[in-house]
Amino acid sequence: MNFQGKDIISMNDLTREEIDHILAKVDEVRSYPDKGRLCAGKVSAMMFFEPSTRTRTSFEVAMRNLGGEVGGFYDRKITSAEKDESLWDTVKMHDGYGFDVIVIRHPLKGAARLAAEAAEIPVINAGDGPNQHPTQTLLDLYSLQKTQGKIDGLTIAMVGDLANGRTVHSMTEALLKYSDCRIIFISPRDLAMPRFLIDKCRKMGAERNITVEEGSRIADYISEVDVLYMTRIQVERLEERMAVVEKLRSIYRLEAAMLKSAKPTMKVMHPLPRVTEIAPDVDATPHAYYFEQARNGLFVRETLLALILGAVQ
Amino acid sequence: MKERPITIAKIRNGIVIDHIPAGEAFAIFQVLGLNALARETGDIIAVGVNFDSASIGRKDIIKVENLSLSLEMLNVVALIAPHATVSRIENGEVKEKNKVKIPQEVGDIVICPDRFCITNHEEVPGKFIVVHGEPVTLKCHYCETEFFGPLIRYKERRSL
Repeated sequence: MNFQGKDIISMNDLTREEIDHILAKVDEVRSYPDKGRLCAGKVSAMMFFEPSTRTRTSFEVAMRNLGGEVGGFYDRKITSAEKDESLWDTVKMHDGYGFDVIVIRHPLKGAARLAAEAAEIPVINAGDGPNQHPTQTLLDLYSLQKTQGKIDGLTIAMVGDLANGRTVHSMTEALLKYSDCRIIFISPRDLAMPRFLIDKCRKMGAERNITVEEGSRIADYISEVDVLYMTRIQVERLEERMAVVEKLRSIYRLEAAMLKSAKPTMKVMHPLPRVTEIAPDVDATPHAYYFEQARNGLFVRETLLALILGAVQ
Repeated sequence: MKERPITIAKIRNGIVIDHIPAGEAFAIFQVLGLNALARETGDIIAVGVNFDSASIGRKDIIKVENLSLSLEMLNVVALIAPHATVSRIENGEVKEKNKVKIPQEVGDIVICPDRFCITNHEEVPGKFIVVHGEPVTLKCHYCETEFFGPLIRYKERRSL
């Protein structure tokens, strides 16, 4: 399998074998003897048309850890896009500057795919609006694999705002490429997983023995799950209903006391930033995994860069 | 049913698109850019709406003088009228009669219904994958949104 020169735009483009290949490479790249020279002389163009903290920083650090350099911009306001330059033209221009890879984040859906068509060099999607954020999904899958030793056969509960969360949609679709998983969606009715995705799980999951169920309380499932994937109730989407947000936040809040009946190997994950959905007292339990999960993002991004730039196969 | 012996005049050369579901003729008109064609060539185009049909009850029919359509355009007709037939007429005779076939992919003939899609903000020709035949369900190549039914809005082809 050769990823050199490949674009990473959407999880839908990747087969299970390709995903497994990437995940299997992470530990190799992470502790590569001469890691600091793997991508020496390579330069990554960071094209960030909207703000980002974790994704941007981890891509930057990843490139530097591999001995490469970064250039580009982090604010649409300082680019010609502010003068109405098209995305196509902006990408074309960067493509001609001698960069080796483009990492793009953009508020509009499909922007990364368009960028990949404009550019000769490979493009990594670091989030195209509410559509795809494949490196997040890959780091989530890597975290499952790392903590549970496998992905097939896991029981995973996703909790919170499942209506608006890109990460949980993408993770659900990715799990459909695996087998024997039990997926539990725990959310208030107003923020439930979209119907079309549940239908898709039922239809596609049947062949692979994947089951989905919907619940409304964390406590009902805590002793059965291998992974509890928490998400933030997105205030920006429910702005006019602050009272509702407060109520939901108190119901879908995880506290250390609730974890007593959990399996010893159960891990709590969260794409971060968290607000109130995970109480700080959970951090000290052996179940807390979200900071390591975020750190895994660095290793997964290092691996992708190394694969795409042809430093490893 | 009362007899309604209205017919559309025969054409000598051109194409006849028959068995279009009633009411869809104008969508086909748009997609094929027949307005532009009429303006630019002056050729005769006849549109019949709500004709009786043994197989689909009511149907629309379009006859276009002197036109020949590419296979790609014919297949686009299939999105709107999956059971349409297209006949090529030469010297007043049917030379060829084909059923349309739903394509696997279509180009810039549809508007992506997702307002956050890049194609609705920049000049990007649309591209769609046909994920289901019946009902016709499309998936935007860029934003990956799947849509069907009234969400499929066709672009008018403004030139030939």
